[in-house]
Amino acid sequence: MRSVLCYGDSNTHGQIPGKGPLERYGPAERWPGILRAQLGPDWYVIEEGLSGRTTVHDDPIEGAHKNGRTYLRPCLQSHATLDLVIIMLGTNDLKIRFNKPPSEVAMGIGCLVYDIKELAPGPGGTTPEIMIVAPPPMQDDVKEWKSIFAGAPEKSRLLALEFEVLADSLELHFFDAGSVVSCSEADGFHIDAEAHRLLGIALARAVDAIGWSRST
Amino acid sequence: MRIADRASGLNALSVRSYNERLVLSLLLQNEGISRMEIGEKTGLSAQTASVIVRSLEQEGLVSQGEAQRGRVGPPTIPLSLNPEGAYAVGVGFSRRRIDIALIDFIGTVRFHTQLPADEANPFPQNNDLLATIRQAMTSLPVEARSRVAGIGLAVPDEVDAMAATGNGSSTSLKALQSEIEEQIKLPVFVQNDITAAAGGESMFGVAKPLNDYLFFYLGARLQSRLILNHQIYKGNSSASFDHGLMRLESELAMRGRSSEIIWSSSPEWPDLGEAYTEWLGECSNRLKASISALTQFVEFRTVLLSSYAPQKIAKALCADIGREFAAVQALPARVTISPKAVGAASLPFSSRFMIQ
Repeated sequence: MRSVLCYGDSNTHGQIPGKGPLERYGPAERWPGILRAQLGPDWYVIEEGLSGRTTVHDDPIEGAHKNGRTYLRPCLQSHATLDLVIIMLGTNDLKIRFNKPPSEVAMGIGCLVYDIKELAPGPGGTTPEIMIVAPPPMQDDVKEWKSIFAGAPEKSRLLALEFEVLADSLELHFFDAGSVVSCSEADGFHIDAEAHRLLGIALARAVDAIGWSRST
Repeated sequence: MRIADRASGLNALSVRSYNERLVLSLLLQNEGISRMEIGEKTGLSAQTASVIVRSLEQEGLVSQGEAQRGRVGPPTIPLSLNPEGAYAVGVGFSRRRIDIALIDFIGTVRFHTQLPADEANPFPQNNDLLATIRQAMTSLPVEARSRVAGIGLAVPDEVDAMAATGNGSSTSLKALQSEIEEQIKLPVFVQNDITAAAGGESMFGVAKPLNDYLFFYLGARLQSRLILNHQIYKGNSSASFDHGLMRLESELAMRGRSSEIIWSSSPEWPDLGEAYTEWLGECSNRLKASISALTQFVEFRTVLLSSYAPQKIAKALCADIGREFAAVQALPARVTISPKAVGAASLPFSSRFMIQ
């Protein structure tokens, strides 16, 4: 059986657009659940989605535990052995409090990749396959989040290219979520149930396209 | 390795990595294979294959097919060369005609026309040829014109022979080459015409999966090439037998019949009577003698017969060969519209996209 870790933020956690962080789509509705159903019994799908998670930043307001880098190491070791790590982060790095350009968000992803390679939680102490997923661009109207995400929608549209440049240079698998889904109008930066379904199906195909030998 | 290249159109000449060529060559050979199969056949890691396929998709050279449902798991996405990913123009020079063809990335002829040839001046630096090459390119929609990878010229051996006699036609080939490069602003590749026709068949035709085969081209003369492990051997003599269509022409002339039709690209000939029957028998005997002689020395299982002439001729000759040799499979070539020009057009592709 193969293992895939889905490492992300509220859009991996399954937070319902326009609702609070405690309101979440069900296990079978959110994209890792769809992925599980699509990939079938050969795969063990592990969900690690946290609302507010950044790539490498302690959040001075929401808490240091939102830092995706500090949590990734114990997380990788907890779930080893991993055949594949899917990372979909970056939206929270665009909060005005971090003041980061899109290119530096990609650098944050690069740090996570560095840590995965260093820990080598793949089969027999190897590097697992790594897939970077660019989050879908935010809507221009992010409702009451406008001040927190000032300038973010515009930056969010540049993440896919920056992430792909990173994926090319580090030789990683890449998928642009924006090619199949958009953020919900309800709050402008979360994805709804239908988008979870479409993303799960698309990612299952992307996972399959990596090519896995029959023996497990 | 290119980095998330958003170029619309083909990338510069110098940046095609070996691994990219490897993947493109593999996709040319195998339509609709998965990334996993690409990895298996090339030895590239899953990540490397992923990056290369992504950039080739972005460049428009590779496209995803319809998802194939398997027994378990998600459907697999097959990959293929995108026919509209690249184009090339080929010019085939013959005694009586100059053929100009434009092909797409999988060898489909999208444009074909002929100009009359002048034996005294085989490489006319006149505006007719240039204008026709331009016409071939403008037959494409505007946005596709930047995807023409280059121009190939397929040139008969006689011309080299003529150059040796000092009438300077080789020089004028060089002059024509630079004129085209200068005017059209694309690289121009030159190869012997029969070798080019065999190359085109290897790239796009029946010969795609074959490592070894014997190739005959039936034109004005009957000429051959031996292909061993994908290498095209010319033989050390420019042996070409006087059993080609020129022979048929003289048979017709002896009987006072016109031979104009046999130099056209007409897919059907009218009944040419006993001149034709007689010539076909001689041609068949010549083919069989060549095959028989060669089988003493090398092992090959396939004979391909390429010609611009009507398909039924190649079919009849192949049937004859098949009856004579149990161990040899004789097949008409797949490229039937001006094989020389198509072969010439394959030159920019092999030079720019494929492993040599």
